[in-house]
Amino acid sequence: MTGHGFTPDEQRYLDGGPHGDPSDAGRADADALLRAAAAYRDALPALDARLDDAVLAAVRARPRRAGRGLRWALDGRVRPIWIPLAAAAAALVVYLAGPRSPVPTAAPMAAVRAADTVFVQFRLAAPAARTAAVAGSFNAWDPVSVPMTRAADGTWLVTLPLPLGEHRYQFVVDGTAWRPDPMAPAQVDDGFGGTNSVIVVGPKGLVRT
Amino acid sequence: MRIHRLFAAACCAALAALPLQSARAQQGELRTQLTARGLPADLVDGVAAVAADAAARGLPTAPLADKALEGWAKRVPSARIVSVVQQFAGRMVEARDAVRTAGAATPSGDVVAAAAEAMNRGMSAAQVGDVVRAAPASPSAAPSLRVAAALSAQGMQMEQAVSVVARAMHDGRAVEQILDLPSTMRAWQAQGMAPPEIGRRMLAGAPGGPGMRGPGGLRPEGAPGGPGAGPPPGRPVPPRIGPGAGRPPTRMPPRPTSFAP
Repeated sequence: MTGHGFTPDEQRYLDGGPHGDPSDAGRADADALLRAAAAYRDALPALDARLDDAVLAAVRARPRRAGRGLRWALDGRVRPIWIPLAAAAAALVVYLAGPRSPVPTAAPMAAVRAADTVFVQFRLAAPAARTAAVAGSFNAWDPVSVPMTRAADGTWLVTLPLPLGEHRYQFVVDGTAWRPDPMAPAQVDDGFGGTNSVIVVGPKGLVRT
Repeated sequence: MRIHRLFAAACCAALAALPLQSARAQQGELRTQLTARGLPADLVDGVAAVAADAAARGLPTAPLADKALEGWAKRVPSARIVSVVQQFAGRMVEARDAVRTAGAATPSGDVVAAAAEAMNRGMSAAQVGDVVRAAPASPSAAPSLRVAAALSAQGMQMEQAVSVVARAMHDGRAVEQILDLPSTMRAWQAQGMAPPEIGRRMLAGAPGGPGMRGPGGLRPEGAPGGPGAGPPPGRPVPPRIGPGAGRPPTRMPPRPTSFAP
């Protein structure tokens, strides 16, 4: 552990993922933290098994306010013509008050279900590189957001959980040089005069490129 | 009565405006996304103009934003980026026509984008139609188009790749199984099998191919095994390569969260 937090190896060690070779001190720190967390968890008082039922009973006992307007309408106190008019007015309000600062969204991927992710390990043999990253359709081609970690043999590695489906990507070496993955199963023209690597992630588990 | 007619007209106008609201929101999202990544205003304007035209035609705009971001990240000149985005928008028009001709009257944006990408990689409009017609449900059409294009990019003839995917869908394979076809092909290629032979085996229903029964099939390299996993008949299990060779495959539990850079 450093003064600012955990090293990447220690973080992976704590996460239970594959880790390179954290130092003895780092491993001892991580183990101590895991022991402390376990002790804290064990020290928490046990909750009464009936707590959930008591909370739900209290919620159900609260007076219900929702639906009063609908019952009012169904009771005949509102003329039917006003119901679609109210809906139209609501739609008009939505239109006029539309989002002025929408949240940016990433391009759609070929994911079948958003919850389905598979861990994909990207590898690049570049012993002379100072930095390496992977950028692709899964991170809006951001060349800095997914840095790779250098192993002792000069191989750069990163493991990402990716949604099922097709992903296009390249490696970014030393911040500016875009390189296709020589180990990728497929390469395609990127339209800009370069080549994108392609991987189709199926549901069967860890994939290595 | 006259007041009621006025109210009815207002109601219809408001409801008709909702799609415009959606298109306007799309435009806002696209501009925000591009600006947040530091694209210059003139490039954002150029891409937004293409996207507005695409949206007016009912085409998805997210693939256009993705293409612009890709070009910008690769330091491609702005004029070239706009040109490529424009070309892809045109390709989506062709792709949507191909999908509609195959019987999908109102294809989703994802299907149109997948068809456009497949056509960019050499799939003909007729072949797009073959895949779409074989898709039992529209959600499987987009991944199937992408898988066929990926098999082709891995060396299989496009015609055979389309046949393999169509056969898989006709056989009732789940989308997840179709998505495993490129990994299966890669595993067989690693054993020295030629793409045409792989295609023939897949069409003949070899394990791991579209005709297989039940879960399993060949695993991607290093993947944990599952029921039915294994090599094709008569083939040895390929040795694992790389630093992990000789050790049990690393398995990490799937996390509930999606990747969010």
